[in-house]
Amino acid sequence: MTTPSKIRDLAQRLLDYEAFAGNASEPGESATLRVYEKLRQGLGEFAGVAGFQSLASRALAMARTEAPSLNAVRVSADGSLRGLGEIELQFDIDKVRAGEFPAGEGEIILIARLLGLLLMFLGEALTLSLLHVTWPGAAFDDCNSENRRNA
Amino acid sequence: MSTQDKVKINKLPTGVPGLDEIVGGGLPEFSFNIIAGAPGSGKTTLAHQFVFANATPERPALYFTVLGESAIKMLRYQQQYSFFDPAKLPDSIRFINLSQVVLEKDLGAVLEEITKEVEKANPAVVVVDSFRTMVRKPESDMDLQSFIQRLALFLASWQATTFLIGEYAEDELRDNPIFTVADGLLWLRQTAERNSIVRKLQVIKLRGQDSVPGLHTFRITDAGVQAFSRTFGLTARKRNPPSDRRLSFGIAELDKMLGGGVREGDSVLVAGSSGTGKSVLATQFIAEGIRQGEPGIVAVFEERPQAYAERAASLGLDLETPQKDGKLTILYLRPLDLSVDETMHSILDAVQKIGAKRLVIDSLAGFEMALSPGFRADFRESLYRMIFALTGIGVTILSTVEVDESFTEFTFSTYSVSFLTDDIIRLRYVSIDGQLRKIMVVIKMRGGNHAKDIREYEITSKGVVILGKRLANYQGLISGIPVHSDRPDTTEEPSLDTGIEHKT
Repeated sequence: MTTPSKIRDLAQRLLDYEAFAGNASEPGESATLRVYEKLRQGLGEFAGVAGFQSLASRALAMARTEAPSLNAVRVSADGSLRGLGEIELQFDIDKVRAGEFPAGEGEIILIARLLGLLLMFLGEALTLSLLHVTWPGAAFDDCNSENRRNA
Repeated sequence: MSTQDKVKINKLPTGVPGLDEIVGGGLPEFSFNIIAGAPGSGKTTLAHQFVFANATPERPALYFTVLGESAIKMLRYQQQYSFFDPAKLPDSIRFINLSQVVLEKDLGAVLEEITKEVEKANPAVVVVDSFRTMVRKPESDMDLQSFIQRLALFLASWQATTFLIGEYAEDELRDNPIFTVADGLLWLRQTAERNSIVRKLQVIKLRGQDSVPGLHTFRITDAGVQAFSRTFGLTARKRNPPSDRRLSFGIAELDKMLGGGVREGDSVLVAGSSGTGKSVLATQFIAEGIRQGEPGIVAVFEERPQAYAERAASLGLDLETPQKDGKLTILYLRPLDLSVDETMHSILDAVQKIGAKRLVIDSLAGFEMALSPGFRADFRESLYRMIFALTGIGVTILSTVEVDESFTEFTFSTYSVSFLTDDIIRLRYVSIDGQLRKIMVVIKMRGGNHAKDIREYEITSKGVVILGKRLANYQGLISGIPVHSDRPDTTEEPSLDTGIEHKT
């Protein structure tokens, strides 16, 4: 089962957003790690460390089936991600400016899988409202997920 | 101290239909409350309803989750309820997980964490779910007592209305310090009765205001918890003074027997065995009311509304048009596991919706059978409460009840509900001249004269028709096997009783 394209798009938007935002504050830091860490902080507050760690582990396991490059990545007990640096493409702001995507395929899939789990468990409305808190300046319109509730 | 010197305690809406009435108008602002009960009894849902009803971006709610149900799953399930508004998250409602602090640190650290979040958010509502898991390992009783005391003091000082949710057993009520500190204690119970689940809640304690005592039925539906007050939400309504107005059955001879009709606000019982015309009489009563501009409710349990209306049509009574015009509601109440209070709330809602003046319950036996077995024990008591409440606001109630026909005795009701009624009309079969005929007698009318006559009647295409004069030339009519006497029938008019009550 592959990641639905709409969720991939949402993941990509987050990564793009962090790539641009991160360039000014902490150039060189991985956009994927920044997205992941923000999700960990935001979700950890209400789901708890263990709650987030479980979700992240599940997301990683599913992502590995699509992207074997993630085999070296681990979710530690506190929910943080380990081993991503070894597979990650180096962030290159020139590529971003040129419209190229700054993160690797596996990383998009990992973030998309994590978002997919949230959408499945919490529904679109709650997931987007959580994302809005974490990324107040970003625009997340209807992601048309497969799990969207019929209003 | 005069009334104006007293501090005014604001009452916050609970967000739970029916619960505001039970707690005396809402929960006191800044109160420290416990919601206790067994797993699955609806504690978390009730707390969510309060939170969604009261949280605002300016005064949000903080919902601390501890060990137990994961917050993600809790939100997954809770958002299925209609009260759940995702737009309120996270500006008005914030969920904060304290599991790690509870697992790794002591109660002091937990208090510190709560304090930090409360000071940051300035919440109007604080929930700790489940508090029981938070204090599962106090170093000593003193630690626990001190923790609860400090938590209660802090949250009240910060003007938060607090709910601690816990899975407690009733035998813990005496010894657990949390119940001493709490201002309010709501206990939710669910018990299995044969094949049914019976849910009831009790306000064991609520400082500063009158709550309705006793156990109140509640149900968990798509809308969340719904409570059914034992007083049916009518405690604030003044009882109408007794009325002298008489309501007609639309049967002139019967009205005469009743001294001019049923007194408005009375509870009338029509008792008789199968086929004696109880439902026909009830239908005529409701149809006559509609004809006179008095909206009515018919609660049926043994046939569907359409069938009921069709049967009325066969008697020349149109119940379809008044239904369309909003003058009549026929309620069919046969869901599974129904509680008596829920049924009565449905009736009350219908009464209030159309401003009904007449109510027919057809029949009490069907009503009782529609209830969950666990609620049948409450039937008479609940019926009493409903009749008292409805007649108090001027609704006239006619209930039918089937009695076993006996040819040796003359019972008024097998349900022993005659004490609930002001007036009793008894229908029965008698054997006369080789025919099974029907007689009618008014057994009692509280506070009014009524005929003592035993009258024969028939059920025709026009409904119940009372025949001729009283049956003066028979003795032992109420035994069902009368003896013909040779005394000539000379009675012209029905003779009226002096109004002395019959002991039933």
